[in-house]
Amino acid sequence: MFTDKIDLKDFEKQDPEYQDLLRRVLAIQADCEIGGPNLYVKNILPNAPTKLDQLIVARTAAEEMDHYRKMARLAGDIGVDVSYVLSRSNQERYVEAFRGEIQAWEDYAVFGFLIDRVGRYQLEEFIGCTYLPLARVVEDADVIREEEGHIDFGTNKTAEYAAKGDEWKARIQKAVDYWYVKGLDMFGNSKSYRSERYMYWGLKRRPNAVARQQYKDEVDALISKMDLKIPDPNKGRLYT
Amino acid sequence: MQAAPNTEALDQQFKEFIQALKSAVGSAMPHLKDDPKVVEKAIGDCKEILDVVLEGKVKEWLS
Repeated sequence: MFTDKIDLKDFEKQDPEYQDLLRRVLAIQADCEIGGPNLYVKNILPNAPTKLDQLIVARTAAEEMDHYRKMARLAGDIGVDVSYVLSRSNQERYVEAFRGEIQAWEDYAVFGFLIDRVGRYQLEEFIGCTYLPLARVVEDADVIREEEGHIDFGTNKTAEYAAKGDEWKARIQKAVDYWYVKGLDMFGNSKSYRSERYMYWGLKRRPNAVARQQYKDEVDALISKMDLKIPDPNKGRLYT
Repeated sequence: MQAAPNTEALDQQFKEFIQALKSAVGSAMPHLKDDPKVVEKAIGDCKEILDVVLEGKVKEWLS
């Protein structure tokens, strides 16, 4: 198990596998950060229910852009230009959950509730990691606090619509059904060799299966509390 | 370690986009109940900035 703490000046001296894994994870993280605004801004910013909601959508996009900027900076500093993710189509995103477009407000709400929550799990993986510049970014109060804000907004809106009952409850259940499996899939394959190597090099803290189970326990409790049905965790899954 | 080309320029450009967005949102929030024109203008400004960002014409931004 690798436990050294590496700063930018020592990056090139590291094992090629360490360098490759760090380059890869930063590119994926940058893609996910900008993938969110690309999913929802076009349809949701003009059509959010209230002016306040519209402003919150814009502020959320600004914060995700700032997270992209921070990851792009880390990647750029080790020689990886991740500006290509800014011009790619949604269908080309690394992570399946970002390949599409959010059309409806309830999907935006559940995206915050479930998918931004996965984002928090992913960022938490880097707390205390062996690459110090990355650890500093996620240990800074802003990034995780902002992600928590997106999650809370989505969770509160989801609960609010579930509590309305009838048609609204059915619509929010449909959105939960759709995003739930995408959230579980975002943790990747439980038997991933690469996941083990990330852990070996101290770039991630938990195996995919452990993080997924912790996430599932957390969201299942919230879904039940909202008096919604917990979707089938195996239906439509790409990774187990 | 040599940084990727445009790392600094892209970082600066994004700081400007983000600052402009946060400034527009910040200017509108206190006026949600008393000045719809200010709010409408801020939302329009945000849409304009985000349209540019999501178009992703990086070479044009940095030229």
